[in-house]
Amino acid sequence: MELTINGTSHSVDLPDDMPLLWALRDGLNITSVKYGCGIAQCGACTVHIGGEAVRSCQVALADVWGEITTIEGLGTPDALHAIQAAWIDHQVAQCGYCQSGQIMQAADLLSRNPEPTDDDIDAAMSGNLCRCGTYPRIRTAVHAAASAMREV
Amino acid sequence: MRQTLRTSLVVATSLALGTLALAQGEHGLDLSALPQAGTVAPEEGLAAWENIHTVLTHPRCLNCHVGEDNVPLWGTAEAPGRVHGMAINAGNSRIGAEGLSCNACHQTSTRPNTVPHAAPQTGMDWRLAPVEFQWTDRTSAEICAQMRDPDRNGGRDEAGLIEHILHDAELIGFITWSFDPGEGREPAPGSLQQHLEDMAIWTAAGMPCPEG
Repeated sequence: MELTINGTSHSVDLPDDMPLLWALRDGLNITSVKYGCGIAQCGACTVHIGGEAVRSCQVALADVWGEITTIEGLGTPDALHAIQAAWIDHQVAQCGYCQSGQIMQAADLLSRNPEPTDDDIDAAMSGNLCRCGTYPRIRTAVHAAASAMREV
Repeated sequence: MRQTLRTSLVVATSLALGTLALAQGEHGLDLSALPQAGTVAPEEGLAAWENIHTVLTHPRCLNCHVGEDNVPLWGTAEAPGRVHGMAINAGNSRIGAEGLSCNACHQTSTRPNTVPHAAPQTGMDWRLAPVEFQWTDRTSAEICAQMRDPDRNGGRDEAGLIEHILHDAELIGFITWSFDPGEGREPAPGSLQQHLEDMAIWTAAGMPCPEG
């Protein structure tokens, strides 16, 4: 089976019904993608498929329908995505475990809505849990990233 | 694809349900006993409607046939009004396109729903039913009137309503899933075959509705 991840093609020999999350972490050692609950209730495993945020724990390998982007594919340390830059500027992360999922979901939101209100952010990010309670900083960083992206 | 549920039970029976052009596809349903239009008495049609109403107002169906607040439910028989967790709102798009897509969690797949508490999936893209199909907070007479009104039922006549079920069965869509929702979920009452037969009786009787 061929998976395209962050622009690179990977050949994997794994069961069709294996969740994508397992394949990324255990098969391909892409451990930025986190396991939180395994049942789409926490958002920690969020990646993009075909440009849209998806809980990778819910996608069987055989059902992957497009190119996969993990946080490594969003931006690099030398060329951060505006959301990653905003996350650093506002020091959003506390323990950090949920943050790659938060960032991938926020990137999806800004692709749909370049100028979200607080309510828009809360609604779109409500499926991404943060046990440290960094929600106010997440909201601030999303606003900052949105402003930065509009200025480009 | 869940091919085991797509076994080819092609039924060559033709029905005389008005202009019905039945898909002779892989829906797996038995069409041989369905009545012809005009052969069913109104009382029998009303009795079939009662069965249909029981299905349509089960939480498994109501959970996605919600009103204009666009908030899906996680209702059960014990707590039919429980709202979907995580403060989900599907938006006016009814698919979450405004912010958080239903498909972020609910995959489009015919694989069996084997994991308790995981986001269920069907062969159709997850969504709320159109708002004009609201069944929550509606009487039996109101739902019946909506079901037979092409302006509020997706433009379907009697034959179209039956085809809707067959098409859903071919794709393993929401109607089909509701009778087999997977681990840990209460199914809609009866079976898809029984629901098809009730719908065929009701439509053949001229879609009679209760008063009220």
